[in-house]
Amino acid sequence: MQQLFEQITQQMPIVFRSLNQGFLQTLRLFFVTLLGALPLGLVISFGSMSRFKPLKWLTRIFVGIIRGTPLMIQLLIFFYFPGLVLKNNIWGSGEAGRFTAASIAFIINYACYFSEIYRGGIQGIPVGQEEAGLVLGMKPAQIFFKVKLLQMIKRIVPPISNEIITLVKDTSLARIIALQEIIWAGQAFMKGSQGISGAIWPLFFTGVYYLVWNGVLSWLLGKLEKKMDYFR
Amino acid sequence: MSILQVEQLEKSFGATKVLDGISFTMEQGEVLSMIGSSGSGKTTLLRCLNFLEKPNGGRILMGDEVLFDAADARTLRESEIRKKRLHFGLVFQNFNLFPQYTALQNVVLAKELLAREQPDYKKNKHQIRAEIEEAAQNLLIQMGLKDKMKHYPHQLSGGQCQRVAIARALNLQPDILCFDEPTSALDPELTGEVLKVIRELADKNTTMIIVTHEMSFARDVASKVIFMDGGKICEMGSPQEVFENPQKERTRQFLSNYKNNM
Amino acid sequence: MKKLLVVLMALMMAFTMVTAVAEEASDKQYVIDKGVLVVGITDFAPMDYKDENGEWIGFDADLARAFAAKLGVNVEFVEIDWDNKILELDGKAVDCIWNGMTLTDAVMTAMECSNPYMNNAQVVVVPAAKADQYQTVESLAGLAFAAEAGSAGEAEVTALGLNCTPVATQADALMEVASGTSDAAVIDALMAAAMIGEGTNYADLTYTVSLNSEEYGVGFRKGSDLAAELNAFLVEAAADGSLQAIAEAYLVQAALINQQ
Repeated sequence: MQQLFEQITQQMPIVFRSLNQGFLQTLRLFFVTLLGALPLGLVISFGSMSRFKPLKWLTRIFVGIIRGTPLMIQLLIFFYFPGLVLKNNIWGSGEAGRFTAASIAFIINYACYFSEIYRGGIQGIPVGQEEAGLVLGMKPAQIFFKVKLLQMIKRIVPPISNEIITLVKDTSLARIIALQEIIWAGQAFMKGSQGISGAIWPLFFTGVYYLVWNGVLSWLLGKLEKKMDYFR
Repeated sequence: MSILQVEQLEKSFGATKVLDGISFTMEQGEVLSMIGSSGSGKTTLLRCLNFLEKPNGGRILMGDEVLFDAADARTLRESEIRKKRLHFGLVFQNFNLFPQYTALQNVVLAKELLAREQPDYKKNKHQIRAEIEEAAQNLLIQMGLKDKMKHYPHQLSGGQCQRVAIARALNLQPDILCFDEPTSALDPELTGEVLKVIRELADKNTTMIIVTHEMSFARDVASKVIFMDGGKICEMGSPQEVFENPQKERTRQFLSNYKNNM
Repeated sequence: MKKLLVVLMALMMAFTMVTAVAEEASDKQYVIDKGVLVVGITDFAPMDYKDENGEWIGFDADLARAFAAKLGVNVEFVEIDWDNKILELDGKAVDCIWNGMTLTDAVMTAMECSNPYMNNAQVVVVPAAKADQYQTVESLAGLAFAAEAGSAGEAEVTALGLNCTPVATQADALMEVASGTSDAAVIDALMAAAMIGEGTNYADLTYTVSLNSEEYGVGFRKGSDLAAELNAFLVEAAADGSLQAIAEAYLVQAALINQQ
C-alpha cells in the first residue's frame, strides 16, 4: 500500500502536466463552442421563424437532423467526409485541424439546440410587447434589442444553463477524432505513456476537473439567473 | 376642419367581415366613446387606426394628410407606417408595459429612441435626455404616481400600471389618444383611479377615442358616441342622443343590458 | 435584416459543398508539394512515445524523421485513434501509419504497405506467480483470455479455440489480468517487454508462450508510390548502418528484419 502511494506521488508531476494540457484543450473547445454557437443559434432561430417558407422549412429540417443524430457521428462525418469523399482534407493536418473540425461540429450542433431554446424564448413573449413597441413608433430592431431581448434572455437562462453543463461533458466526445482533451490525456496512462502504464487513478482525477469546472459554471449561471430576478 | 376623417373603412379576417364601411369624423379636442358588444369591431377599428391591422378598403385622413388609402399602394409602405403611427397613441387593455423597465423608464424609452433620430442629438445628448426625463416625471406626477417612478411593473397594481401606460402614450404627444377597454383587466375597485385620469385628460381637451364597457363613464366623458354592431356603425351622435333617445331597436336592446349600472 | 439572414444561410449551405479536388497522380508528389509528412501514431513505447520535453521519439519516430528528411519535407506526428487508422489515411488526415503496425491481411488489403522491417510475436501474459504452469500452448486450455478487439492476438486465441473476451486496447487486456477479471491476455511481444515485469506498473505480470510470429510494416494510402520509396530507403539505411543504430538506441536491434 505504502509502495503504491510512493509510486503515485512520484508519477503526479508527469500526470498533472498532461492532464492540465488536456484540460486546456477541453476548455478551448468549450469556449470556442459557446462563442460560436450562442450567436449562430440566434441566426438559426430567426431562420426557423422566417416568414419565407422555404427558408423556414430548410432550417427546421436541418435543425431536426442535427438534433436527431448523435454528435459523435457528426464529428466523424465532419472530420473525415471532406478527405474521404471530396478527396480534399480541408481541415489541414495536426492537432489544429482536428480542433477546427471539432469546433465547427460542436458549434453547429449546439447552435441548433440553442436555436430551439431561443425560438421558445422569443415566441413565449406576449405579442402585446411587440405591439406596444410598434405603437410607440419603435423600429423592429429597437423592439428586439430594447424590449424583447432581455425578456428572452430571462426566459432562456435556465434551459441554456443546462445545455452549457452538458457541453462541458460533451467535449469529451471530441476524442473520437483524436482531439487530445482531458479524458484522452487521462486514458493515455492506462494504455501506457511517458513511462506510466496501467494507471487508472489519473482517470479519476479527470472527473475532478469536470466537477470543479461545472461547479464554477453552475455558480456563475445561478448568479446570472438571480441577476434577472428584478423583473417578471 | 376635421382632424380625423375615416371613410368607408373595411377589414376582413378570412371570410369574416369585421369592419364594414365605417365612416366618421373627429374634431380637435373631441372625446369619442365607442360602445358595442364584444366582436362588434370596436377594437379592430382602433387597431386599424394604429396600423396594427391593415384595412382591406377605405381611407384614413389626418387633416390634409392621407394616412391610408386602400387604392394607393404608396400609403402602405412599411417605411412610412412608423411615422404615421405617431399621430395616434394606444393604451391597451393589458397595459403591455415593458417588465424590465421602471415606470419612468417605460415612459422615457420610446421618446428617447425617437430623439436619437434628431440631427443634433449627439451634440446636446445630456440636455435632450434631461428634458425628456423631466417631461416624463411631470406626466407621472400628473397621473398620481410621484412615488412609484422607480417601481417595476410587477410591483405596481393594475390601476397604477394602466396609469403608467397612459403616461407612456401621452409622452409622445399623439394627436389622438386611443383607449382599448382600459379598465377591463382591472379589479372593479381599481377602475375609478384610471377613469379619473382619463376624465382629467378630457377636461384638458385631449382628443381621445375610448372603447369601453363602462356605459356611465362613456356617457359622461364623451362629446360623441358611436354604437357599433356587426362591423357597422349602428348609431352615432351626442351622448344624449345615443343614450337617452336611441333611434335603433338594436341600440335600445344593447343599452337595456346596462340599465342597472347607469 | 431578413435579406442578410438569407445570405448567411446560403453561405452556410455553400460551405457544406466544399469543392472536391481531383486525385493527385502521385502521393509522393502530394506530400512533397505540401512540404510535410504527417505520420499517424499512438503512444506506443518503444516505437513512438514522448520524451520529457513532449517530443515524439522511439524507433519508428526516429526512422520516420530520417525518411522525411530524405524526401526533403518536414515531419509531423499526430496521435490518432487506432480504430480509425484507415479512415485517417484515406481522409488524408495523415499520410502514413507508422506505429509498430502488424502486417495482417486486413491491413495489407486496405493500405499500400512497405516491406516488413521488424519481427514481433503475440505472447501470453499471466500473473508471474502462476507462470510455471503455463509454459506450453497445451497448458492454456480452460483459461479465460482478454485481447484487443480486431488484433492479431485475438485472431490467434480464437484460432486455438480458446475462450476470449475482446477489449478496447492492449492495455485494457493487461488490466484485465492485473485485476483478475481475466486469467491471461495476449499482446505484442514488444509491448509486453516494455510494459510488464520488474520496474513497471505491472510488476506482478510476466509473459510466457509465443503464439505466432508476425512482422511490422508502414502503411500508406492504397496505390501510393511512397511505399516503394520507403522500401528503397530501408535498404539504403540498412546498408549504411543507420537503421541498426536507431534500433540499438531503443534496444530492439534483435527484432530487426534484414533489408536488401
